[in-house]
Amino acid sequence: MTRYELIRGRKRPPTAWMPDRREALAMLAAGSAAALAGCQRPRETITPFVDTANEIAAGEAVRYATALELSGYGRGVVGVVVDGRPIKVEGNAHHPSTLGATDPFIEAAVLDLFDPQRSKTPMRGPVPTDWRALGEALRAQTAAHATDRGAGIALLTGRVLSPTVLKQVEALTTEYPDLQRFRWEPLHDDAERVGAGIAFGRALAFQPRLDAADVVVSLGADLLGPGPDQIRMARGFARRRRPESGPMSRLYAIDTSLTPTGVMADRREAGRPELIHNAAIALAAALGAPLAAPALPPALARLVAQAAGDLKGGGGRGLVLVGPAQAPEIHALAHWMNGQARAPVDVHAPIDPVAQNHADSLLSLVQAMRAGAVKTLIVLDSDPVFGAPPELGFRDALRHVAFTVHAGLYRGATGRAAMWHAPLSHAFESWSDTRALDGTASLVQPLVAPLYDTRSAHAFLAMMRPAADVGDLQRVQATWRAGSDGGDFAGWWTNTLAAGVVPQSAATPATVPAARLPAVTPATTGPGLTLVLRPSPRVWDGRLAANAWLQETPDPISKETWGSSLALAPADAEALKLAAGAAATVRAGTRLIQVSVRIDPGHAQGAASLQTGFGQVDLGPVADGVGANAFALRDASQGFLIQPVEVLAAGAARPPPATQHVFELAPADAGLFPVVAASDLAPAKPRPSPPDLLTPPNPAPIAWAMVIDTSVCIGCNACVVACQAENNVPVIGPEEIAHERDMHWLRVDRYEHPGGQGGFQPVPCMQCEEAPCEPVCPVEASVHDSEGLNDQVYNRCIGTRFCESNCPYKVRRFNFHDNQHWPVFGQLDARSIEAQRNPEVSVRARGVMEKCTYCVQRISAARRTAEKEDRPIRDGEVTTACQGACPTQAISFGNRADPSAAVNAARRDPRHFVLLEELKTKPRTTYLARAANPPDDGGPR
Amino acid sequence: MAQLFDPSANTFLRVVMLALVVAPLVFVGGMVASQWSPFTTGLDHTPEQPVPFSHKHHVGELGLDCRYCHASVEDTAFAGMPSTHICMTCHSQLFTNVPMLAPVRESLADGRPLIWNRVNQLPDYVYFDHSIHIAKGVGCAECHGAVHDMPLMRQAQPLSMGWCLSCHRDPGPHLRAQNAITDTTFVADNSPQQAAALMKAYDIHPAHLTDCSVCHR
Repeated sequence: MTRYELIRGRKRPPTAWMPDRREALAMLAAGSAAALAGCQRPRETITPFVDTANEIAAGEAVRYATALELSGYGRGVVGVVVDGRPIKVEGNAHHPSTLGATDPFIEAAVLDLFDPQRSKTPMRGPVPTDWRALGEALRAQTAAHATDRGAGIALLTGRVLSPTVLKQVEALTTEYPDLQRFRWEPLHDDAERVGAGIAFGRALAFQPRLDAADVVVSLGADLLGPGPDQIRMARGFARRRRPESGPMSRLYAIDTSLTPTGVMADRREAGRPELIHNAAIALAAALGAPLAAPALPPALARLVAQAAGDLKGGGGRGLVLVGPAQAPEIHALAHWMNGQARAPVDVHAPIDPVAQNHADSLLSLVQAMRAGAVKTLIVLDSDPVFGAPPELGFRDALRHVAFTVHAGLYRGATGRAAMWHAPLSHAFESWSDTRALDGTASLVQPLVAPLYDTRSAHAFLAMMRPAADVGDLQRVQATWRAGSDGGDFAGWWTNTLAAGVVPQSAATPATVPAARLPAVTPATTGPGLTLVLRPSPRVWDGRLAANAWLQETPDPISKETWGSSLALAPADAEALKLAAGAAATVRAGTRLIQVSVRIDPGHAQGAASLQTGFGQVDLGPVADGVGANAFALRDASQGFLIQPVEVLAAGAARPPPATQHVFELAPADAGLFPVVAASDLAPAKPRPSPPDLLTPPNPAPIAWAMVIDTSVCIGCNACVVACQAENNVPVIGPEEIAHERDMHWLRVDRYEHPGGQGGFQPVPCMQCEEAPCEPVCPVEASVHDSEGLNDQVYNRCIGTRFCESNCPYKVRRFNFHDNQHWPVFGQLDARSIEAQRNPEVSVRARGVMEKCTYCVQRISAARRTAEKEDRPIRDGEVTTACQGACPTQAISFGNRADPSAAVNAARRDPRHFVLLEELKTKPRTTYLARAANPPDDGGPR
Repeated sequence: MAQLFDPSANTFLRVVMLALVVAPLVFVGGMVASQWSPFTTGLDHTPEQPVPFSHKHHVGELGLDCRYCHASVEDTAFAGMPSTHICMTCHSQLFTNVPMLAPVRESLADGRPLIWNRVNQLPDYVYFDHSIHIAKGVGCAECHGAVHDMPLMRQAQPLSMGWCLSCHRDPGPHLRAQNAITDTTFVADNSPQQAAALMKAYDIHPAHLTDCSVCHR
């Protein structure tokens, strides 16, 4: 009953939206009281600890080494914890998969921890229940299997490499010898595994070393694209792409849609998957394989001839990499070619102990379910109802199973379809262990106690056995104590926890014979389009789709946020009468989905491509209804190619909002993104600086400056998400992005030169010495500091937006709304995300302009430390968030007044250039031009 | 017909017309001036505390060093508030049964922290670091006043931006040697020569100290 009803004894007429006299007076009184009270500060309290032994230094960051998994592969990270709250994730320099850097997935993991959409309580169907009820039901169910030796129990997991989980599964199989274990990842590596078998007769794992390769040929392999190995690959690539630090490598790429690898290639051609298949055969033939070279279009044939020439000649080392969409035979052929080219590839036995193919494993599970052979199904951290091919009918097959339970961080589609759901703890909330792609093991240590009533995967698996449960810490320690040499285990444990990697745990290299030449036949182009499924660089296979930071991160190529469109070549789109942004129905057999269309001038004709992971329906308000589910077009073989598909116009759509719309540079704008051939680079000579009458030289002892090397920026967005995490940058949702109100302080522009190479250009605030934003601010909220930072004083800003209008680089961001209350969580209580915020950075209110200040909080912290130690700030002591995240170390930052600083070495590089130099804004952020190493007779791309 | 207004109406009208001009000026001026008033700044604000802890007794009479309780003041931004354990290092032996200390004993017994009312409060957009001020020779009393003479802790300075800047613009007169940092009775009375010597010894460059980014970010 409202107050109106109480007073008047009747409902208010629906039209009476205006306050009545009493309400107006009440509001007036409340307003006056609030105005008076506003003069005084709200009174706060201080709560100290009770016990000094538990005391942590208030407000100080503490760092813990731990690890996160992507598709089962562990990546060592360092969690930054302030006042008991994890607020940021950084790379672990000791870990071979992160090398001190991150990718967007690692950066965004801390948001998942505080995500209000997380599963918080066990569920029995639609009804919340508790762990005791779930445990009793689970034990009663497994006890019933004592008679059938566990033959009716099926355990479905993703790729599991955690030694402790594997030990627990082994213990389960000892108890229930006929328990069936299935392992399935939607973004699987079946073709690689089978290909290795063809070439070497057994399954093997490969670690290409790009830093040792002189010539790299990518055949549909997005080697710089997203994935568990992206950081290591990108770092290796970058080592050979700075012309001043040694001979450059040369990268050839054939891909279907434009990928980061294609952008970074010295020579790239678009080719539909069948042509990539044939190009691989032609390349092998040119390298001396007794194979008939299939006919190729002239542009592709020329690229293959050039690549073959480079691979054969010069005595360098070549490397041929093939994408997951290609047939196993092509993978085997690449192994053969790598043998010919003396490729730098480390080989070891597979880390994944399961030998079966992912697609076969899931298929056999569904067949067993339908046959009634499965009485109890346990799904651990996998979402087959979302990601399995529709023809398997996983949701329907669940009905044939008497008892189904799903455990996961989110409930998701499978958690809703199963009878029971168990909420798992986040990796930052539990003890565990994991192994990386090269076998290196890491311990996972919690950064915070579980926020909700969740349990770890270990505790969940332990619930199936009646034995009294031990804690996760004891369980993980038991795994490693068994393997230790019996010495000082406590010391070993402490040192290993601190380092983040288990010493000497990498897989031992395998010696392999020369790869056999497989029997391959050229592919024929079928009718209709070939659809390529690509892993999303934002939400991967969909398991990260609930993460609002990742949904709002612009795609590296298309710059789309909140979803992804079907990419088509302009000629195909015209033939299908599809305009950019139109809706289309994609049909493969009886399977169909609705997507919006994007026209990609770099796309291969005869093919279409679509990113995976979007189109969730049961994950939460962030992900649901965003984009279309590409997995819904797959057949039971679960390949990455779907042939043929039909694309039919389906009216108008609301395409995903993009943050950049024009990529091709007009000739007049070519200076925005210079590309220089390595052979044209003059030896470094100091550029005479013209006399400057505008300002006296800066006498300050510190002059902060940043140089970004566009030669090695692969557009991965790690910096964008790192900046968002570090600086409390809000998420605003697709509607606001569509109004061009994106809030990322750091954007990554992508440019293409007509007929030539393009690249990525990260644009943070330029910190102009003659900043156009400063003189137009009426309240001096935009001011310079003595070290050259262009400060934005949030508590002074009154929101005129004059500065934004006057900024030629468009790096200022305005809070049109109360953006710290993210609209994307719908009706959920999203206060939990406030715990992620960096206490060292102000939270900006509505009506306030905000922007990059070179992570001034980090500069300030370093300065205070240095001053307390009575010394100057050392070069490299201040690392901006974007710089620390960058896998290729493209960003250097430091004191320009210090001649020996790394940033000055970069500024002396002949590739150094200033963005929009003609405006005389004298930016402190400058760039190194993209260096290209095209083949001698390289024609237009 | 009798006159409607007697002569005093003239005076009345003049006063009213003058008031129409002056009153808004007085009102606006008063509002502006109120920002410096203790009502707004909180100067001399002396909040009630769960335990009437007397700095006068502990510092002035017993001579406890500030850092005994505010242990992190030299290392971190936050000076640190004593845990219940620190109170009980002495009060498990002294005044063990006084009713005044009941909340402390209960805190230890229940494991529930004491909740103190903050005396010196800065807005959230101000990033103040105790440790750097201590390291650079700003004594505790410079901001917290004569703590040794405060039965209940009192806000000794207005803590306004103008007050902060008065020192950031010219820190010399407010500096002292490290051995007097926690001495609340010490009065920094620096001659210009001594101020300059301290500025040099502490390597302080005021040009940077008035940058917005020093306190706001």
